[in-house]
Amino acid sequence: MKKRWGIMALVIAAVMTASGACLAGGGPLVYGTTEKVIDMDPANAYDFHTWEIFYNIYQGLMGYPPGKTNLVPHLAESYTVSADGKTYTFKLRQGLTFSDGTPFDAHAVKWSIDRVMNLKGDPSWLVTDFVERVDVVDSATVNFVLQNPVAYFPSLVATVPYYPVNPNVYPADKIVRDPSELKGGKIVGLGPYEVASFKRDEEIILKPNPDYFGPAPKNEMVVIRYFADATTMRLALEKGELDFAFKSFNPSDIKDLEQSSKVKTIKGQGPYIRYICFQCKIEPFKDWELRQAVAASVDRKEIIRKVFLGQNAPLYSMVPMGMFAHTDNFKTVYGDGNLDFARRVLKAKGYSEDNKLKFEFWYTPSHYGDTEVDMAAVLKQQFERTGLIDVTVKSAEWATYRDNWANQLMPAFLLGWYPDYIDPDNYTSAFAGTAGSAGLGIHFSDPKWDAKFVEEQTVTDLDQRREIFETIQKWWAMDVPTCPIFQGTLYLFTQNNIEGVMISPTLQFNYRTIQRVQ
Amino acid sequence: MKNILRYVIVRAALTLPMLFILLSVVFVVIRVMPGDPVSSMLGGHAPESVIEKKKEELGLNRPMIFQYVDYLWQICRLDLGESMILKQRVIDAIKLKIPATIELTFFGMLVTVLVGVSLGAYAADKRRSPQDYAIRIYGIVIYCIPVFWLGLMFQMIFGIWLDWMPIAGRTGARVFASTFEKTGFYVIDTILIRDFAALKDVLIHLVLPSVTLGLMLSGVFVRLTRANMLDVLKSDYILAAEARGIRHRRVVYKHAIMNAFVPILTMMGLQVALLMAGAVLTESTFSWPGMGRLLLERIYMRDYPTIQGVIVFFALIVALVSLVVDIVYALVDPRVRY
Repeated sequence: MKKRWGIMALVIAAVMTASGACLAGGGPLVYGTTEKVIDMDPANAYDFHTWEIFYNIYQGLMGYPPGKTNLVPHLAESYTVSADGKTYTFKLRQGLTFSDGTPFDAHAVKWSIDRVMNLKGDPSWLVTDFVERVDVVDSATVNFVLQNPVAYFPSLVATVPYYPVNPNVYPADKIVRDPSELKGGKIVGLGPYEVASFKRDEEIILKPNPDYFGPAPKNEMVVIRYFADATTMRLALEKGELDFAFKSFNPSDIKDLEQSSKVKTIKGQGPYIRYICFQCKIEPFKDWELRQAVAASVDRKEIIRKVFLGQNAPLYSMVPMGMFAHTDNFKTVYGDGNLDFARRVLKAKGYSEDNKLKFEFWYTPSHYGDTEVDMAAVLKQQFERTGLIDVTVKSAEWATYRDNWANQLMPAFLLGWYPDYIDPDNYTSAFAGTAGSAGLGIHFSDPKWDAKFVEEQTVTDLDQRREIFETIQKWWAMDVPTCPIFQGTLYLFTQNNIEGVMISPTLQFNYRTIQRVQ
Repeated sequence: MKNILRYVIVRAALTLPMLFILLSVVFVVIRVMPGDPVSSMLGGHAPESVIEKKKEELGLNRPMIFQYVDYLWQICRLDLGESMILKQRVIDAIKLKIPATIELTFFGMLVTVLVGVSLGAYAADKRRSPQDYAIRIYGIVIYCIPVFWLGLMFQMIFGIWLDWMPIAGRTGARVFASTFEKTGFYVIDTILIRDFAALKDVLIHLVLPSVTLGLMLSGVFVRLTRANMLDVLKSDYILAAEARGIRHRRVVYKHAIMNAFVPILTMMGLQVALLMAGAVLTESTFSWPGMGRLLLERIYMRDYPTIQGVIVFFALIVALVSLVVDIVYALVDPRVRY
């Protein structure tokens, strides 16, 4: 009897192993994208696609599990914060090494941060604006001493400029454009993959990193293929040349692929938001009630339906959906296309059909894609539906657009935002804090608001921060320095036999969970 | 010999003002274009101080005239400069991409000549027949069709509907160029290492883009070949050959075509400019990683030095090919002299 059970167990084990082998591997996974890689150096890379690759070949002290938005320790085991909020002490995982045997320890962390601060690359402000210095306490403990208390500092540590690199491979005084410039000619970090081959604008081949401390990738290789345009990428996906494709498809391609039985659609909330900015220092939008009237007349669903073919989500707060502390205050106060509210306010202000509120509404035609002109046209229609507003739509290319907002030439204008770090602070203080607001041409300033931003930046208790952000969002719907319109939806398409794809608003797309199944 | 030398020197010297005008026009046009490399690189996010620092680093806050003089001085030293986006030397970027473009344009020209010359010869042979009219209409229509549209249609028909051909890239998704690349010319590289499976893959990937590019120009060659062939077919020696009993097919497709080919050869050199222009759109459509795609991408990034460098390089190629064609023509035809 025992012998039979033993044989059965062996057979079951063999079958499971075989099916596991069938499930995993099955050749390289081919990933198509129209994005570009700029610099293969965490000290200078400042675009989402290069960061996406770094999420897979490096690790940070903090990070996000695949598909999730909760911050967890990665290379660190834990952290503590000093009473004054200015010192963060990270306890590092022990026993980790880079592929050449260089130990991962507090010295490597300090070296990497010092390198970012010295090189002053494009994203270095994410470090230099916050960190005063890094101290090595012992080989497994490192202190980040901040210039000021920053409650969301762990979110910053999860960004790529904070990623530790191998001090024996990376040059201390030079930004690396290409892996061939590194000692050994290869990029190997502490992440689940290493770069096996790099051909700029053609392909990057990632192979599992045998020294990775976490769960091994479920695939044997990922080949990233770069496409010049979305249509060709779509055709390659439909033809089966790609296993999955992500960023960026045209709205019409998304609509067709969603309806196709040949591919699977994976949708997720993106962190990208679009909104109207009001210049709060000049007429007419010095007056907060006029800002309210214009915000009330916005019909988000109509914009999404007409311009984006239903492919984005209406947004009722500057804090995006899915982020902690998000509330829908604009929905509660105004809803969509609330013409009664708008007309009531405008009439109370003395506007009429013979004396309309006139203003210029600006957009930039290519920075955010081809849909911008349509969005501006639909918004103009919506404002003028009140019968009491007369809008002149104007446009300027990005460089001129930036100059215009710096010179306070645009009373109302469209902008978009991708976050630098995943925290409501990045979506709020930049627009309504006195300093940030001026930098973005909004010029909203209220000491009550500034005090609230200082409070949320220093308080570390999550519940307290949540309350503060809920208050800020309530005020936002009243004072309307900006009016949120929609939140972008992420679309990723895969072949039907691909599983394990997880995308999240953090834009951290981890390849290691993806596999081809029979 | 002295005459030829003087001719070559004069032709070469005339290329210099052409290049200078081209450089200046390109310099002005790309700076007049909306946008700049810093906005392109950093978007709307970076603090003002970072943006200003970047502009200073790239010399973009200097007066335009100083930027222009610096640029011309660089060109005089044969230095195409450094990419503002990638800090990569422009000449290195060109060296990486030029083999892909040369490979594509070579096979494209092959298609052009094969299709254009054979159809043109056939049309001349069947003068005033329905076939002649059809071929002449083809010659006009194919020339008018935008090359990117033609490329997309081929992708749709042969790549998707019929599933006969791949639609993008130089190699298949599971063929890794890093295992065989030596010269950058994948056809040659795969032959050198005797990887015939990879050679087959590379050639299959060449089919749609080179046919797209080649057909675009074939219309010109159809009409040129037909016109030349009609002249040659009226010649006495052709009549004599037919009178001697040589088969008509041999007379037309061996004797007449060889004599009609000299002007076609000249035209091949002169069409290089059109081929390069077509390559920009073809490479974009087929995600072909060559110079054309490099130029398009760097235009989007407002990477001024790379845009200028690539255009200058294209201009040099066109000028060189034209010069070679003119010299060959001068050698062959003693009536051509300065």
